[in-house]
Amino acid sequence: MMTLITGGAKCGKSHLAERLLDDFTDNKYYIATMEPFGEEASAAIARHRRIRAGKGFETKEKYTSLHELELPGKSHILLECIANLCANEMFGGSEICDPTDSIMRGTEHLKSRAETLVIVTNNVGSDGIDYSKETNRYIEVMGRVNRLIADISDNVIECVYGFPVILKGKL
Amino acid sequence: MIMITGGAFQGKTDYMKKRFSLTDDDIADGGRCEISELSKSRYIKHYELAVRRMIPENIDPLAFTEGLECEAIELNEIGCGIIPIDKNEREWREMTGRAGCIIAEKASEVVRVCCGIPTVIKGEKH
Repeated sequence: MMTLITGGAKCGKSHLAERLLDDFTDNKYYIATMEPFGEEASAAIARHRRIRAGKGFETKEKYTSLHELELPGKSHILLECIANLCANEMFGGSEICDPTDSIMRGTEHLKSRAETLVIVTNNVGSDGIDYSKETNRYIEVMGRVNRLIADISDNVIECVYGFPVILKGKL
Repeated sequence: MIMITGGAFQGKTDYMKKRFSLTDDDIADGGRCEISELSKSRYIKHYELAVRRMIPENIDPLAFTEGLECEAIELNEIGCGIIPIDKNEREWREMTGRAGCIIAEKASEVVRVCCGIPTVIKGEKH
Protein backbone atom coordinates (compact mmCIF):
# COMPACT_ATOMS: atom_id res chain seq x y z
CA MET A 1 0.00 0.00 0.00
CA MET A 2 1.45 3.31 -1.07
CA THR A 3 0.17 6.69 0.11
CA LEU A 4 1.25 10.17 -0.94
CA ILE A 5 0.52 13.03 1.45
CA THR A 6 0.65 16.57 0.12
CA GLY A 7 -0.34 20.00 1.39
CA GLY A 8 1.14 23.36 2.33
CA ALA A 9 3.95 24.00 4.79
CA LYS A 10 3.45 23.06 8.45
CA CYS A 11 -0.07 21.73 7.92
CA GLY A 12 0.20 18.47 9.86
CA LYS A 13 1.41 16.24 7.01
CA SER A 14 4.09 14.49 9.10
CA HIS A 15 1.78 13.77 11.97
CA LEU A 16 -0.80 12.31 9.62
CA ALA A 17 1.90 10.27 7.85
CA GLU A 18 3.19 8.85 11.12
CA ARG A 19 -0.32 7.94 12.21
CA LEU A 20 -0.74 5.83 9.08
CA LEU A 21 2.10 3.62 10.35
CA ASP A 22 0.95 3.48 13.99
CA ASP A 23 -0.17 -0.13 13.67
CA PHE A 24 3.35 -1.35 12.88
CA THR A 25 6.22 -1.81 15.31
CA ASP A 26 8.82 -3.85 13.42
CA ASN A 27 10.63 -3.23 10.18
CA LYS A 28 9.66 0.41 10.37
CA TYR A 29 11.90 2.98 8.75
CA TYR A 30 11.93 6.74 8.61
CA ILE A 31 13.85 8.07 5.62
CA ALA A 32 14.93 11.62 6.45
CA THR A 33 15.97 13.75 3.48
CA MET A 34 16.54 17.06 5.25
CA GLU A 35 20.18 18.01 5.59
CA PRO A 36 20.90 19.64 8.95
CA PHE A 37 22.09 22.95 7.51
CA GLY A 38 21.93 25.69 10.14
CA GLU A 39 19.94 26.25 13.28
CA GLU A 40 16.45 26.20 11.81
CA ALA A 41 16.94 22.87 10.07
CA SER A 42 18.49 21.38 13.21
CA ALA A 43 15.56 22.62 15.29
CA ALA A 44 13.04 21.19 12.80
CA ILE A 45 14.86 17.85 12.79
CA ALA A 46 15.00 17.78 16.62
CA ARG A 47 11.28 18.55 16.78
CA HIS A 48 10.41 15.75 14.34
CA ARG A 49 12.68 13.34 16.22
CA ARG A 50 10.92 14.18 19.49
CA ILE A 51 7.50 13.58 17.94
CA ARG A 52 8.64 10.27 16.41
CA ALA A 53 10.35 8.98 19.56
CA GLY A 54 8.80 5.81 20.91
CA LYS A 55 6.95 5.02 17.69
CA GLY A 56 9.43 2.34 16.67
CA PHE A 57 11.01 4.03 13.68
CA GLU A 58 14.59 3.35 12.70
CA THR A 59 15.81 6.60 11.13
CA LYS A 60 17.89 6.50 7.98
CA GLU A 61 19.28 9.79 6.77
CA LYS A 62 19.65 9.93 3.01
CA TYR A 63 19.75 13.24 1.22
CA THR A 64 19.99 12.08 -2.41
CA SER A 65 19.99 8.87 -4.49
CA LEU A 66 17.39 6.93 -2.50
CA HIS A 67 17.84 3.89 -4.74
CA GLU A 68 21.10 3.20 -2.85
CA LEU A 69 19.28 2.57 0.45
CA GLU A 70 19.47 -0.94 1.79
CA LEU A 71 16.16 -2.00 3.25
CA PRO A 72 14.66 -5.40 4.02
CA GLY A 73 11.56 -6.55 2.15
CA LYS A 74 8.08 -6.00 3.57
CA SER A 75 9.20 -2.82 5.33
CA HIS A 76 6.95 -0.05 6.57
CA ILE A 77 8.53 3.11 5.28
CA LEU A 78 7.89 6.79 5.81
CA LEU A 79 9.78 9.04 3.39
CA GLU A 80 9.99 12.68 4.40
CA CYS A 81 10.06 14.63 2.26
CA ILE A 82 10.12 15.05 -1.52
CA ALA A 83 10.57 18.84 -1.32
CA ASN A 84 13.92 18.47 0.45
CA LEU A 85 14.98 15.52 -1.66
CA CYS A 86 14.20 17.44 -4.84
CA ALA A 87 16.17 20.50 -3.70
CA ASN A 88 19.13 18.34 -2.63
CA GLU A 89 19.19 16.45 -5.94
CA MET A 90 18.65 19.54 -8.04
CA PHE A 91 20.96 22.07 -6.38
CA GLY A 92 23.43 19.81 -4.53
CA GLY A 93 25.91 19.41 -7.40
CA SER A 94 28.04 21.94 -9.21
CA GLU A 95 25.32 22.41 -11.82
CA ILE A 96 21.54 22.41 -11.55
CA CYS A 97 20.19 19.12 -12.83
CA ASP A 98 16.76 17.61 -13.54
CA PRO A 99 16.23 15.20 -10.63
CA THR A 100 13.02 13.61 -11.92
CA ASP A 101 14.55 10.28 -12.98
CA SER A 102 16.64 9.93 -9.83
CA ILE A 103 13.67 10.68 -7.55
CA MET A 104 11.42 8.25 -9.40
CA ARG A 105 14.11 5.56 -9.35
CA GLY A 106 14.43 6.04 -5.58
CA THR A 107 10.67 6.00 -5.12
CA GLU A 108 10.28 2.80 -7.15
CA HIS A 109 13.06 1.23 -5.08
CA LEU A 110 11.32 2.08 -1.80
CA LYS A 111 8.04 0.79 -3.23
CA SER A 112 9.71 -2.53 -4.10
CA ARG A 113 10.99 -2.93 -0.51
CA ALA A 114 7.81 -1.77 1.21
CA GLU A 115 4.64 -3.41 2.37
CA THR A 116 3.52 0.05 3.45
CA LEU A 117 5.03 3.19 1.96
CA VAL A 118 4.00 6.68 3.00
CA ILE A 119 5.57 9.64 1.21
CA VAL A 120 5.31 13.23 2.35
CA THR A 121 5.62 16.00 -0.23
CA ASN A 122 4.71 19.67 -0.44
CA ASN A 123 2.48 21.90 -2.57
CA VAL A 124 4.68 24.73 -3.77
CA GLY A 125 3.04 26.28 -6.84
CA SER A 126 0.05 28.24 -5.55
CA ASP A 127 1.37 31.65 -4.54
CA GLY A 128 1.58 33.28 -7.98
CA ILE A 129 5.01 34.73 -7.30
CA ASP A 130 7.46 34.95 -10.17
CA TYR A 131 10.67 33.73 -8.55
CA SER A 132 14.15 33.41 -10.01
CA LYS A 133 14.62 31.09 -12.98
CA GLU A 134 16.07 28.35 -10.75
CA THR A 135 13.21 28.52 -8.27
CA ASN A 136 10.58 28.49 -11.02
CA ARG A 137 12.32 25.43 -12.39
CA TYR A 138 12.14 23.80 -8.94
CA ILE A 139 8.39 24.52 -8.75
CA GLU A 140 7.95 22.92 -12.17
CA VAL A 141 9.94 19.82 -11.20
CA MET A 142 8.04 19.48 -7.92
CA GLY A 143 4.76 19.60 -9.84
CA ARG A 144 5.92 16.92 -12.24
CA VAL A 145 7.41 14.63 -9.59
CA ASN A 146 4.29 14.92 -7.44
CA ARG A 147 2.13 13.93 -10.40
CA LEU A 148 4.33 10.94 -11.21
CA ILE A 149 4.34 9.74 -7.59
CA ALA A 150 0.58 10.31 -7.29
CA ASP A 151 0.12 8.19 -10.39
CA ILE A 152 1.81 5.13 -8.86
CA SER A 153 0.27 5.65 -5.40
CA ASP A 154 -2.80 3.79 -4.17
CA ASN A 155 -3.88 6.77 -2.09
CA VAL A 156 -3.26 10.50 -2.37
CA ILE A 157 -4.22 12.69 0.56
CA GLU A 158 -4.10 16.47 0.75
CA CYS A 159 -3.64 17.61 4.33
CA VAL A 160 -5.45 20.80 5.38
CA TYR A 161 -4.41 21.82 8.90
CA GLY A 162 -4.23 18.20 9.90
CA PHE A 163 -7.51 17.34 8.20
CA PRO A 164 -7.12 14.73 5.45
CA VAL A 165 -8.83 15.44 2.12
CA ILE A 166 -8.82 12.31 -0.01
CA LEU A 167 -7.88 12.97 -3.64
CA LYS A 168 -7.42 9.32 -4.63
CA GLY A 169 -8.02 5.93 -2.96
CA LYS A 170 -8.82 5.88 0.74
CA LEU A 171 -7.34 6.65 4.12
CA MET B 1 -18.50 26.51 -18.96
CA ILE B 2 -16.06 24.26 -17.12
CA MET B 3 -13.48 25.91 -14.90
CA ILE B 4 -10.20 24.13 -14.20
CA THR B 5 -7.98 25.45 -11.43
CA GLY B 6 -5.15 24.42 -9.10
CA GLY B 7 -1.53 25.38 -8.46
CA ALA B 8 1.21 25.63 -11.07
CA PHE B 9 2.31 22.43 -12.83
CA GLN B 10 -0.38 20.22 -11.30
CA GLY B 11 -1.64 18.82 -14.62
CA LYS B 12 -4.51 21.21 -15.40
CA THR B 13 -3.79 21.50 -19.13
CA ASP B 14 -3.29 17.74 -19.46
CA TYR B 15 -6.69 17.29 -17.83
CA MET B 16 -8.33 19.74 -20.25
CA LYS B 17 -6.70 18.13 -23.27
CA LYS B 18 -7.72 14.66 -22.19
CA ARG B 19 -11.27 15.51 -21.21
CA PHE B 20 -12.08 17.44 -24.39
CA SER B 21 -9.75 15.51 -26.75
CA LEU B 22 -7.68 18.58 -27.61
CA THR B 23 -4.17 19.30 -28.80
CA ASP B 24 -2.14 22.35 -27.73
CA ASP B 25 -3.23 24.16 -30.90
CA ASP B 26 -6.88 24.01 -29.81
CA ILE B 27 -6.22 25.98 -26.62
CA ALA B 28 -5.71 29.74 -26.50
CA ASP B 29 -2.84 30.65 -24.19
CA GLY B 30 -3.68 33.66 -22.02
CA GLY B 31 0.03 34.37 -21.68
CA ARG B 32 0.54 34.85 -25.43
CA CYS B 33 -2.52 35.26 -27.60
CA GLU B 34 -4.25 38.53 -28.47
CA ILE B 35 -6.63 39.43 -25.64
CA SER B 36 -9.44 39.96 -28.18
CA GLU B 37 -8.93 36.38 -29.38
CA LEU B 38 -9.95 35.07 -25.97
CA SER B 39 -13.56 36.20 -26.40
CA LYS B 40 -13.79 33.90 -29.46
CA SER B 41 -11.86 30.95 -28.04
CA ARG B 42 -13.59 27.77 -26.91
CA TYR B 43 -10.71 26.63 -24.74
CA ILE B 44 -8.45 28.93 -22.72
CA LYS B 45 -5.46 28.25 -20.53
CA HIS B 46 -3.45 30.56 -18.25
CA TYR B 47 -6.27 33.04 -17.97
CA GLU B 48 -4.43 34.49 -14.94
CA LEU B 49 -1.71 35.67 -17.37
CA ALA B 50 -4.34 37.19 -19.64
CA VAL B 51 -5.61 39.18 -16.65
CA ARG B 52 -2.04 40.30 -16.00
CA ARG B 53 -1.75 41.62 -19.56
CA MET B 54 -5.15 43.35 -19.51
CA ILE B 55 -4.24 45.69 -16.65
CA PRO B 56 -1.57 47.80 -18.45
CA GLU B 57 -3.74 47.82 -21.59
CA ASN B 58 -6.57 49.38 -19.57
CA ILE B 59 -8.95 46.53 -20.27
CA ASP B 60 -11.20 45.90 -17.27
CA PRO B 61 -10.52 42.23 -16.42
CA LEU B 62 -13.78 41.84 -14.55
CA ALA B 63 -15.98 43.20 -17.35
CA PHE B 64 -13.99 41.14 -19.86
CA THR B 65 -14.43 38.01 -17.74
CA GLU B 66 -18.19 38.61 -17.46
CA GLY B 67 -18.35 38.50 -21.26
CA LEU B 68 -16.46 35.25 -21.71
CA GLU B 69 -18.30 32.40 -23.37
CA CYS B 70 -16.05 29.37 -23.69
CA GLU B 71 -16.31 25.63 -23.13
CA ALA B 72 -13.47 25.36 -20.66
CA ILE B 73 -11.13 27.81 -19.01
CA GLU B 74 -8.10 27.20 -16.88
CA LEU B 75 -6.53 29.55 -14.39
CA ASN B 76 -3.83 28.95 -11.83
CA GLU B 77 -4.52 29.43 -8.18
CA ILE B 78 -2.10 32.26 -7.38
CA GLY B 79 -3.38 33.67 -4.10
CA CYS B 80 -1.93 31.32 -1.50
CA GLY B 81 1.11 33.38 -0.57
CA ILE B 82 1.88 36.63 1.21
CA ILE B 83 0.31 39.82 -0.20
CA PRO B 84 2.98 41.18 -2.58
CA ILE B 85 4.69 44.48 -1.69
CA ASP B 86 4.68 45.56 -5.34
CA LYS B 87 1.49 47.42 -6.26
CA ASN B 88 1.24 45.89 -9.74
CA GLU B 89 1.66 42.35 -8.38
CA ARG B 90 -0.99 43.11 -5.79
CA GLU B 91 -3.40 44.40 -8.40
CA TRP B 92 -2.81 41.38 -10.63
CA ARG B 93 -3.45 39.01 -7.76
CA GLU B 94 -6.62 40.80 -6.74
CA MET B 95 -8.00 40.98 -10.29
CA THR B 96 -7.19 37.32 -10.88
CA GLY B 97 -8.93 36.34 -7.65
CA ARG B 98 -12.01 38.36 -8.48
CA ALA B 99 -12.07 37.18 -12.10
CA GLY B 100 -11.75 33.61 -10.80
CA CYS B 101 -14.79 34.10 -8.57
CA ILE B 102 -16.80 35.37 -11.55
CA ILE B 103 -15.76 32.35 -13.64
CA ALA B 104 -16.51 29.90 -10.81
CA GLU B 105 -19.93 31.50 -10.34
CA LYS B 106 -20.75 31.22 -14.07
CA ALA B 107 -19.25 27.74 -14.48
CA SER B 108 -21.50 24.69 -14.40
CA GLU B 109 -18.56 22.74 -13.04
CA VAL B 110 -15.33 23.64 -11.26
CA VAL B 111 -12.49 21.14 -11.19
CA ARG B 112 -9.43 21.57 -8.98
CA VAL B 113 -6.36 19.59 -10.04
CA CYS B 114 -3.71 18.62 -7.49
CA CYS B 115 -0.87 16.18 -8.21
CA GLY B 116 -2.56 15.36 -11.51
CA ILE B 117 -5.76 14.31 -9.73
CA PRO B 118 -8.96 16.20 -10.60
CA THR B 119 -11.49 16.88 -7.84
CA VAL B 120 -14.88 18.30 -8.79
CA ILE B 121 -15.55 21.09 -6.28
CA LYS B 122 -18.67 22.42 -7.98
CA GLY B 123 -21.21 20.52 -10.07
CA GLU B 124 -21.94 16.86 -10.67
CA LYS B 125 -19.27 14.27 -9.99
CA HIS B 126 -18.78 11.99 -12.95
